[in-house]
Amino acid sequence: MRVERQEAEGWLTVVAVTGELDAYTAPELRTALQEAMDGGAQFLVADLTAVEYIDSVGLGILVAAAKRAAAAGGALSVASDASSVTKVFQISGTHELLGLQPTLPESREFLASRRQEHAGTNS
Amino acid sequence: MPEPTPEGDLIELRLPCQARYIAVARLAVSGIAARIGLTLDDVEDLKVAVSEACTNVIDHAFGSCAPDQCMTLRCWAREGELRVEVIDAGCGFEATEPPADRPDSPQPRGLGLFLIRELMDEVQVFSSAGAGTTVRMVKRAGEEQEPQ
Repeated sequence: MRVERQEAEGWLTVVAVTGELDAYTAPELRTALQEAMDGGAQFLVADLTAVEYIDSVGLGILVAAAKRAAAAGGALSVASDASSVTKVFQISGTHELLGLQPTLPESREFLASRRQEHAGTNS
Repeated sequence: MPEPTPEGDLIELRLPCQARYIAVARLAVSGIAARIGLTLDDVEDLKVAVSEACTNVIDHAFGSCAPDQCMTLRCWAREGELRVEVIDAGCGFEATEPPADRPDSPQPRGLGLFLIRELMDEVQVFSSAGAGTTVRMVKRAGEEQEPQ
């Protein structure tokens, strides 16, 4: 598995994962998300479009990150369209909490509109 | 568990209780499933269910009790049906059926068992304090899961 963090735009952080997310590999994703948020990232995409496997360990890490981002006035969006991955989100009922989108551009768009909503609320 | 031996070919794999070997359990089960006519979707479901069972062993089986730090993956394979047991000789627990409700915030054991029940056609958990835990699950070709 590989985890890469990209500062996509000033306001957006993308954490891109390749491979399988299980109890052995997922802690690397937790670290990447935590470090991004420790550094002030509020809007994050977990790009899982190159992930073919996820289970409850990866799911738990994403849910914790989504809650932390929301508490900090931001949001997380997971990008994936692999049925083996999205099925785990659907049956656990977490797809909405995780802002699940099929592609990275759609996750970016989703977060851009959430950001505008936040800006509207705060003004 | 006195009951008749299941039908099919018996395949056993003994793994150290370490997270890095969970992927080996997944590979073994998907390799077997692909040889007995299960669909790709069935294989994906099995991979998650077996990984969840192995993760639970690693996270929960061995506390303060004297550890046999291994888990056994026991499969009975026949055309269209795979029966898998994930067996540990850990501390066990007294309740026969630990809670597996759909959690608002994932609790590792609860969420893992919830996913196993959702993805498999049959699930049984046997445990007793001091005698370890066995998670038994059955997947049949192309069968939609009924809510359990």
